[in-house]
Amino acid sequence: MNCHNCQENCCPKNKRNFWNLFGVGSKKSVKNNVTKSQSTVALVGSPNVGKSLLFNLLTGTYVTVSNYPGTTVEVARGNRIIAGSKVSFFDTPGMYSLIPITEEESVARDLITDEQVDLIVHVVDAKHLGRMLNLTLQLIETKLPVLLVVNMIDEAERLGIWINENQLSHRLGIPVVAMAAAQKVGLKKLIAQVADYVPSNSLSLTY
Amino acid sequence: MSPQILYPSPIETAISRIESLLDERWQDLISRRSIALLLLQQDPKIRSQLQQQPYFPEIERIIAKTQASMDESLTYAIAQSRHQIAMDIDRDATVNLRKRPIVEDEWLHNLTVHPVTGIPILLLVLYFGVYQFVGVFAGGTLVDGIEGFFESQINPIVNTVVGSIFPWQVIQDLFANDYGIITLGIRYGVAIVLPIVTAFFLMFSFLEDSGYLPRLSLLMDRLFKTIGLSGRSVIPLILGLGCGTMATLVTRTLESKRERIIATFLLALTIPCSAQLGVIVALLSQEPSALFVWSTVMVGIFLSIGFLAGKIVPGESSCFCMEIPPLRLPRIQAILTKTYVRLKWYFWEIMPLFIFASVLIWLGKLTGIFDLVVRGLEPVMLWLGLPQEAAPTFLYGFFRRDYGAAVMFDLHSAGILTGQQLVVAAVTLTLFIPCVAQLQFMFKERGAKNTVVIASFVVLFAFSLGYLLNQLLTIMELSF
Repeated sequence: MNCHNCQENCCPKNKRNFWNLFGVGSKKSVKNNVTKSQSTVALVGSPNVGKSLLFNLLTGTYVTVSNYPGTTVEVARGNRIIAGSKVSFFDTPGMYSLIPITEEESVARDLITDEQVDLIVHVVDAKHLGRMLNLTLQLIETKLPVLLVVNMIDEAERLGIWINENQLSHRLGIPVVAMAAAQKVGLKKLIAQVADYVPSNSLSLTY
Repeated sequence: MSPQILYPSPIETAISRIESLLDERWQDLISRRSIALLLLQQDPKIRSQLQQQPYFPEIERIIAKTQASMDESLTYAIAQSRHQIAMDIDRDATVNLRKRPIVEDEWLHNLTVHPVTGIPILLLVLYFGVYQFVGVFAGGTLVDGIEGFFESQINPIVNTVVGSIFPWQVIQDLFANDYGIITLGIRYGVAIVLPIVTAFFLMFSFLEDSGYLPRLSLLMDRLFKTIGLSGRSVIPLILGLGCGTMATLVTRTLESKRERIIATFLLALTIPCSAQLGVIVALLSQEPSALFVWSTVMVGIFLSIGFLAGKIVPGESSCFCMEIPPLRLPRIQAILTKTYVRLKWYFWEIMPLFIFASVLIWLGKLTGIFDLVVRGLEPVMLWLGLPQEAAPTFLYGFFRRDYGAAVMFDLHSAGILTGQQLVVAAVTLTLFIPCVAQLQFMFKERGAKNTVVIASFVVLFAFSLGYLLNQLLTIMELSF
């Protein structure tokens, strides 16, 4: 545990190659890398809710996606231009609560508490909404901007579960987007919502 | 309107008292209410950050007093309040027509995790997925085809072309002939490793996306508990079949230091990664009885070493809790992308090493060092009952086990290794140090002391076991 604090800087230099092998691709140390000039969005949530898949969809960068919890162990970073400005997305290892139990959970938590991200996108599995809202509530308590993505609505519907986006949004007081990321359902809506948190500079560019 | 969760009143009082104590610098990060709640739940990180502050003892007093006034633990009370609101919102915002989960899913799930049906299913997956697809199809048919093409078509052309460009034998040997960069390094990479690893990655990606692996962890959990290992360590070990380096990194997901050391150790010693497993299985599939001996020995070693490690390394084993995702029919597109990405990275990593190995052999031969080292290893080879041609295998094994295995593949097709020697060499090589990358990560995750202890044990154990196995096979007069 004594290496806890220097996690990001004490790794061998050529480590990236080896991570890339099993898809923890393009992982970088996030610390000191967040430039304030561009917006940053962190994707967080329990393991295996589809954060990495959503990250791939949003940024076009590939990180390994598996139907296996714990595939992502480090933070990945990728960009997308939204409303004319560059937005950096962070894919994070799964976490159940703001208080981490294992080392890789603390990676996501540190990103939230130590870096000033402009938006936290909490991704949850529509099939287990109640259980996962716990973390949503904790995130809302931090007073950071939070957006809830209810993912896998297709699988939930097959189980006879429907989510009322508006009602959920009303109760939580944050924007909610229902998605089936594997089918790209809801992606446009999510991007439109994210755009609200991005300072748009397109005006100055066009004129 | 944000939902302000109201906690039981002693906690609310404590929150506002702690909030008022916190100084300015918390203003722009996360809310003070959040900080106060984290403190009340004994969050180690916030605690260590605040430890130096003059008001920290006061916070400690508030927490202790609040705890004393409550019947249940603060963490539990806070979690309970949140849980109730979460459930309330859930009920409010979802329509659930069918309360029970779909029956067919459960049925398939139960089949895969129940030992009686799960183990035959595992054997079927191993037989068709690994043995037939990777071993027989890729390792046999594909490699024979591509290798044959290389040997009969490409190598002669390369030899002639190189011969006509460079009149000097020394330079010719660097690129062509027996150990050249093109005729050996690239041939190993493209003709032997590429087809096998592609097949293995395809199969592994399919298993990953189907959701079978977490169920395999569940199935193995029972087995692990009987040998005294915690079930949680199954996760990195199963991932280790994909890439040992990655899996060493994933040992972070384990809760106790004890489990992390055991898992790192088992990964280094007994779990071959997909590339190595693919090449070794493909190699041994040419002699099914050899494959049988190899797998029996490996499983035996894994169980007994796991058992011993569980006994020797002190500490309590912790409880296993894991999210089980649904079984899904994988999408072809996703599998292909994943296989392609992995393959690409794998190739970027190994091709330079393979070429580097060729150059190293060339240099070694030129200076005579190679012969010296091989002669030095000769007694060890003799000890293991292996021909001296196998000595370089272990030399390369230091860089990558799969390269070593590719050399063995070549030796076996050339008729230099007999069945028994093949098994002994395969077992020794599987147990041997995995690769430079994994060693590097062990160093980073577990520290120098643990790494040195584990690595020296692994090398000693690999050769001793090879020796024992050779003796045993000779005494039993098993021939392949």
